[in-house]
Amino acid sequence: MAAAVKSQVQLALGLPARLRTFLARYPPASILPTGTTPETYKTAYQEETPNPFLPTKHPVTGRLHDPKYSLRRQAELVKLAREHGVEELLPFTPKGTEVRLRKRVELGLRVKGTGVGQKVKGHKHERQLGIKMDKRRQAMLDMPDLIREWKKVGKRNWSKFPK
Amino acid sequence: MAKKAKTRIINVRLLSMAMTGYFYTFTRPRTALPMSMIKYDPIIRRRVLFLEQKRKGNK
Repeated sequence: MAAAVKSQVQLALGLPARLRTFLARYPPASILPTGTTPETYKTAYQEETPNPFLPTKHPVTGRLHDPKYSLRRQAELVKLAREHGVEELLPFTPKGTEVRLRKRVELGLRVKGTGVGQKVKGHKHERQLGIKMDKRRQAMLDMPDLIREWKKVGKRNWSKFPK
Repeated sequence: MAKKAKTRIINVRLLSMAMTGYFYTFTRPRTALPMSMIKYDPIIRRRVLFLEQKRKGNK
């Protein structure tokens, strides 16, 4: 038990100072000391804002207050945590990997034509490119026969000229 | 008024039979036979048959 705690402490010391500070202020339920629950054990920061990543409603005025951490700082924290493999210790944030992936699936790349069942019209020459290439390919497949015929008939007697 | 005399020499267009739209232009006497020859088509990078394009109207 003591050895496990020690190794966890070592791991925690390996984290960047920024993450360590954050986790000390907002410890998740999974790393609380044994015998305490999130209800009984709350830091002063958590008393004020349970999730510093979400906007909070003021109890008296009812106005929404901005999150304690801006979206930019949230994203930075998430990136740091992901690099150190401790993203699940952070509270819910719209910058988390899970939400990001869900949005990516939902919205696609946001580039027109990349989503499921989407198509872009394109320029006329782009639309006709396939037909043009097919014609060319067919003409090249027929070319040896055409040349053979032309050589047989001779250019003096050839009568099939294009329009 | 007398009709304008037709030129003796005409410019002709030899069209690639590879359907690339590439062509060479040559001059030939009006009375000569239509031209055809195997020449290089840079669009498909091969030597292909080129045939003279039929001229429109009385040109």
